[in-house]
Amino acid sequence: MIRKAIRAAGPALVIGVGGIALWEISFAIIQPDGFVLPAPSEILAAFTENIDEIWVATKNTGYIAITGLIAGVILGVLWALLVSRYRTANETLTPLAIALNAIPIIALAPIFNAWFGLLSPVSNQSIVIILVFFPVFINTTKGLTAVKPAELELMRSYAAPPREVARKVRIPNAMPYFFTALKIASSLAVIGAIVAEYFGGRQDALGPLIVQNAGLTRYADAWAAVLAGSLLGIVLYLLSGIFERASMPWEHAAETAGS
Amino acid sequence: MNTKVKRGWTRWLIVLAVFAMVAAACSSSDDSGSTETTAAAAATETTAASSGGDAGDVATQDLIPVKLQLQWFTQAQFAGYFAALDQGYYALAGLDVEILEGGVDIVPATVLDSGAADFAISWVPRGLVPREEGLNITNIAQVFQRSATLQVSFADSGITKAEDLAGKTVGNWGFGNEFELLAGMRSVGLDPDADVTLVQQQFDMLALISGDIDAAQAMTYNEYAQVLETVNPDTGELFQPEDLAVIDWNDVGTAMLQDAIWADADKLDSDEEYKSIAVKFVEASLRGWAFCRDEFDACVDIVLAAGPTLGESHQAWQLNEINNLIWPSPQGVGSMDSDLWNQTVEVAVSEGILAEEPTDGAYRTDIVILAQANLAVRGIDFQGMDWTPKTIELLEGGE
Repeated sequence: MIRKAIRAAGPALVIGVGGIALWEISFAIIQPDGFVLPAPSEILAAFTENIDEIWVATKNTGYIAITGLIAGVILGVLWALLVSRYRTANETLTPLAIALNAIPIIALAPIFNAWFGLLSPVSNQSIVIILVFFPVFINTTKGLTAVKPAELELMRSYAAPPREVARKVRIPNAMPYFFTALKIASSLAVIGAIVAEYFGGRQDALGPLIVQNAGLTRYADAWAAVLAGSLLGIVLYLLSGIFERASMPWEHAAETAGS
Repeated sequence: MNTKVKRGWTRWLIVLAVFAMVAAACSSSDDSGSTETTAAAAATETTAASSGGDAGDVATQDLIPVKLQLQWFTQAQFAGYFAALDQGYYALAGLDVEILEGGVDIVPATVLDSGAADFAISWVPRGLVPREEGLNITNIAQVFQRSATLQVSFADSGITKAEDLAGKTVGNWGFGNEFELLAGMRSVGLDPDADVTLVQQQFDMLALISGDIDAAQAMTYNEYAQVLETVNPDTGELFQPEDLAVIDWNDVGTAMLQDAIWADADKLDSDEEYKSIAVKFVEASLRGWAFCRDEFDACVDIVLAAGPTLGESHQAWQLNEINNLIWPSPQGVGSMDSDLWNQTVEVAVSEGILAEEPTDGAYRTDIVILAQANLAVRGIDFQGMDWTPKTIELLEGGE
């Protein structure tokens, strides 16, 4: 069991630790004027030094990212269910989704700030929702509709109502697609939350922390905040993975059976 | 079988070729002075600073190319440099100066230290922090003698002194512009983290006008005027100074020195030519500022020709306020007021902006003294003791 875990995690650990060690060593040798990219030890030092500030900022940004992620996922899934069920919904909602997705955040963020107020979390959550819902919507729709014709015919032969078709065929088919989208969305949520913070709002959040420190050439501090953002994204990704594993135990069994 | 493989390859080659063309088209030479459009409502248009009008008939091939990095977008805040360019003072000194416009994400200290610019305009704290981080830059001329930072609120909010900020939403721009505010609050016993709500403010006054924040950060010469250029929805007239209450950090005692000319300290010590260029550059720049003091209208026109975002009445207001920060200058424009320097350092250290006092060489006076001596020889008045402020009428939108 332990050996299996090591074999699974081994290569990743070697590459990760090896890469960081290489970074640190080459910096020690070359000693570049590299105040833009500090050595890992400096970043870690800045991280531990500013841990209080970073923790508060991560909580604030994380709150926006997580609540926005949940809302965006729900919205995306509902949208997808509608579109897969009703053709008119497909013709109206899909182009709308594409259009919404195409609007750049730089344009939306100040508008949301004006609508919902600079200090209201809703303005930042809205940015996250817009970013998150599209991959979830597109992937889930694909999953709900890309069903084998044979299975649909089988349900037809049972005179199954659309609700049953959805429950027994479409939704299980869509689940892998949905979880792929969820993993993408979890990183997007963090990015969206941080970028939305650039446009005004509270200053004890990761976005301002990164940008302000970079503006003062305090790059180790800026990278420490970036590290916190990455960790946040990774945590959300892992949580998505756990959620996936819990919802689709049969998938995991199939994957490991292959190795 | 053979033809199938060939076709596969051709397809990929075409894709690669298209990709290469797109990549080539997209990669433009990254000019250190290029700016990105920001969300700041008032100043979204960025234009490259034009090099002004007639630089005289001096042969340009003999001139030494010099780049100056501004701290912000083109506006009357930097009028002296545009005037020096336009009036040929730089050319007369043998310099072909290119003025690089600044912006939100452009850090003058970094641009200077990397060599992308030869000189930079930067506020003193925003030069001292990078210096502590290892960028060896030095202040060679302290152009602005006084700080212009205000905390502005509406008169009916009752925020007339720093103590009144307790429990309020206080906007500030961050990026090193907020130190006077934070120190000012601490000096009256407020804890910025606990007693007020600090808000990241955009570089405009919309958040104040819309009521999102109680007090906004503003410069006397810029954002303050932007409020006075906005129509008050209640009266249908422009906002008046009586509608606003301001806190001036000069009065509170936590003001920090602002616009100064910075140079590369290592180069100054190692490169004799760079040092003599620095003297000439400072001399011509200060002469440009003297021009903007004496020839107000001509100077406003020069700034307008350089393509700022806001219009004539705003630039006129701004130039008047900038002159108020420079003149009268009993020690001569560009000289360092050691009391204000010490105050700046004290605020910086007590605020934790700097870990410790700056090492020697953070500023030097030798270059500006030489420059002032040259100006004296030319008979240029670099003290401006007779200068008096004008009254400027603002028009809506700063037109």
